Amino acid sequence: MADVRLVDVSKRFGLMTAVDRVSLHVPEGGFTTLLGPSGCGKTTTLRMIAGFYSPDEGDVLIGGVRVNDLPPYRRQTAMVFQEYALFPHMTVLENVSYGLRMRRVPTPEVRRRADDALKLVGLSGVDGKFPARLSGGQQQRVALARALVVEPEVLLLDEPLSNLDAKLRVRVRTEIRLLQQQLGKTAIYVTHDQEEALAISDRIAVMEGGRVQQIGTPLEIYHHPANRFVADFVGLANFVEGERAGPGRVRAGVITFAVPDGAGGVGPVTMVLRPEALRLHRAQPERTENVLRGRVRTASFLGTLARYWVDAEGLSWIVDVPSPGEALLGGEVFVEVPRERIHLLNEGGS
Amino acid sequence: MAVRALTLKGQGRDPGLVAAFVVMSAVLLGFVLYPTYRVISYPTLADYLAVPANPRWLAAMRNSLMMMVLSTTTASLVGFVYAYGMTREDLPGRRGFRLISLLPLFAPPFMVAFAYILMFGRQGLVTRALLGLDVNIFGWQGLWLVQTVAFFPYAALIMEHIFEAINPTLEHAARDLGAREWTLFRTVTLPLARPGIAAAMLLVAISVLADFGNAVVIAGSLPLLATEAWFRIEGLGDLNGAALSVSLLLLPTVALFIFERAWVSRRLYTGITGRGSRLARPATPWFFRWPLFGFCLIVAAFVLLVYVAVLAGAFARTWGYNWSFTLDHWRLGMTQGGAQLVNSVRVGAISALLTSIIALITAFLTSRRQWPSVERTLDFLAVLPGALPGVFIGIGFLLAFNAPPFALGGTPWILILALTFWHIPFGYQAAAAGLKQIDRAIEEAAQDLGASGLRVLKDVYLPLLRGPFLSSFVTSFIRAVTNLSIVVFLVTPRNLVATYSILAMIGGGFWGAAAALTTALLLVTFVAVGVARVAVARGIRGLPVA
Repeated sequence: MADVRLVDVSKRFGLMTAVDRVSLHVPEGGFTTLLGPSGCGKTTTLRMIAGFYSPDEGDVLIGGVRVNDLPPYRRQTAMVFQEYALFPHMTVLENVSYGLRMRRVPTPEVRRRADDALKLVGLSGVDGKFPARLSGGQQQRVALARALVVEPEVLLLDEPLSNLDAKLRVRVRTEIRLLQQQLGKTAIYVTHDQEEALAISDRIAVMEGGRVQQIGTPLEIYHHPANRFVADFVGLANFVEGERAGPGRVRAGVITFAVPDGAGGVGPVTMVLRPEALRLHRAQPERTENVLRGRVRTASFLGTLARYWVDAEGLSWIVDVPSPGEALLGGEVFVEVPRERIHLLNEGGS
Repeated sequence: MAVRALTLKGQGRDPGLVAAFVVMSAVLLGFVLYPTYRVISYPTLADYLAVPANPRWLAAMRNSLMMMVLSTTTASLVGFVYAYGMTREDLPGRRGFRLISLLPLFAPPFMVAFAYILMFGRQGLVTRALLGLDVNIFGWQGLWLVQTVAFFPYAALIMEHIFEAINPTLEHAARDLGAREWTLFRTVTLPLARPGIAAAMLLVAISVLADFGNAVVIAGSLPLLATEAWFRIEGLGDLNGAALSVSLLLLPTVALFIFERAWVSRRLYTGITGRGSRLARPATPWFFRWPLFGFCLIVAAFVLLVYVAVLAGAFARTWGYNWSFTLDHWRLGMTQGGAQLVNSVRVGAISALLTSIIALITAFLTSRRQWPSVERTLDFLAVLPGALPGVFIGIGFLLAFNAPPFALGGTPWILILALTFWHIPFGYQAAAAGLKQIDRAIEEAAQDLGASGLRVLKDVYLPLLRGPFLSSFVTSFIRAVTNLSIVVFLVTPRNLVATYSILAMIGGGFWGAAAALTTALLLVTFVAVGVARVAVARGIRGLPVA
């Protein structure tokens, strides 16, 4: 087992800087996700940890040892690839055994450990089949078993679920997380799916433009995004731009909001409001703090929640109401913005 | 610079891979570039400068270029129309036409010429026995006919791919917009096929220029660059003149080759990509279909005549005079050439194996993206032999490896190595194309699990590239056993091969024995193709059958 540390790591391809001074620490046994849109540098970062690229600047340390120039085959990492990259000419058993054979493990032990790994991922009875004969989910498990069987210090996963259908994706990601916890492996996971990242990570590093925008637990990332990009990329958010108007006060247009921040001061701020944090009332509520009068423009029923687009005070608001009953709201409504659910960014509009 | 050094250091730790780069570079430099250099540098500058003053050289150059223009034009035209016919789904017998157009690709390079002497020569079955004419087929007209028939399949093969790649939807669309058959052909089919036509013409032109087999049999006293080298050495022992003539031949072939690679092949790819839905092609109207059918029938008949002539020649007692059946030619052919035939197969098999292995390793190395300049050099050396005429390679190996310090003269190895390196481009291009289809992540997965560079080659690419390897082996084998242009310079009584003996038999008037030995050689190539087809049909483990 080992921790992974990146210190000011940069990687350029020609004139393009793919990864720009990224620093990151993944503690031993931790599950960290690199999250970001395509082209944000997350895969490049992962591949530098795996050894497919060496960083142009900065250091990659695994277990405290600098591995910048160590080729992949000499690193104690194992990767699960996006398209699985199973060897099409080898059976499932041969695929899983490959890493062990490279490590010159004695044959009887190879068989035993490969069997164990296949059992671990819940695959049995397919040893002799070729990957092309397996379903997507099964191939995914083979890829996982192939990576786990070599008992790597660090498990690297590059969008491993992107080829599975939605239901299977949820199931397999839970299995991956359970396995990782059970084995206590350090894991680094790359995805562009924010829901996936929130669901399985200890910590998430949100990346954009080759740089880490924020590192934190899923709760921190979701509730306290460091900037507008993070807030926008992770989950859905209402952004309200305003000016500080004294301690605990932000003025946006004609209304003044009570905000949790007591620091006061001056300057532009952006309030980040999650749709599910807002409340929608048919009648005017008794409390008057942060309550806006508005009209429902569109409503859409999503099963577990109803999503409303409400025009209020010259702004368009997205409000999610959990477990909607048989009927949706319409016409005049009141939007309540609970003060403690407001997250402030010290930046103006973009 | 510091950054770059760091990167190289990081990736340079794989000693096996470094060794492979060093060995392959040395091998290709030694066996491709060194013989090339030897030929070009053999004549002195004064020799080169004296060329314009020598009427014989000028005549040879003029004739070679004239034949190139004539034969390329007709072969490409025939190939174009033939391919157009083959891709019409409603042309009667299109499968048969397709098969027939492939036949000349398996034939020894002098076979068409030999067969047409039997058919249309002074004692020709058609000209004399059937029509009672006295025709002299030797000379440029005969060569023109022969080269047209021998090389149109190359053009047809390329053009067929182009026509197939033209989406039928386009034809439907053009018709929908009101285009008539001829307008459609002129405004849609022809413009889309234009890069393919250029590619086909260049390939045919290179083949015509370098054609030794047909020229040596049927050109008679017409001086040509490709055959001049042979007459210089055989008649006069004039190595200098031979090197000079093939160097002169090299100029146009290399120019055409570079033009093809730099310009045409690039356009070709854009034309082939983007396969959409496969609608059936619209029906061909009768006034198009039947002339096409008639044309294909005539061309096919000319191809089949080649085989009929050789087969008949092998069993007719005295060609032109006594048509009774005999096996005497087989007896003579086998006693005279049986051992050579065995030697041909051995030389062909070993060289094809070497070609395929070297080509595969080279393709693997040039896909590493680690030492760009080295990889580009290797790539260049691996495709260069495609620009070199066989006679050039023959002279090159004669000059480079016949005498100490590399004295391979008279051994089978000089033949094997010359053929091996001449055929490298076929295997290299097949392997490189195969490599491109394999997801890079599969290699990375192997590396990630602990496989070093050469391990990746052995565990991942060798098994996955069995298909291209096999096709490279078969192509190289057929070309090697039927080769004449190289072996003619390198054989001695100790390492004779069948094609050389056949040439000697034709020259000596032993047509029956020559036909028998040619038939035997054809059988060998067809068996090789058959075995390969069976191997492919049975599938290659773990991979879908192509």
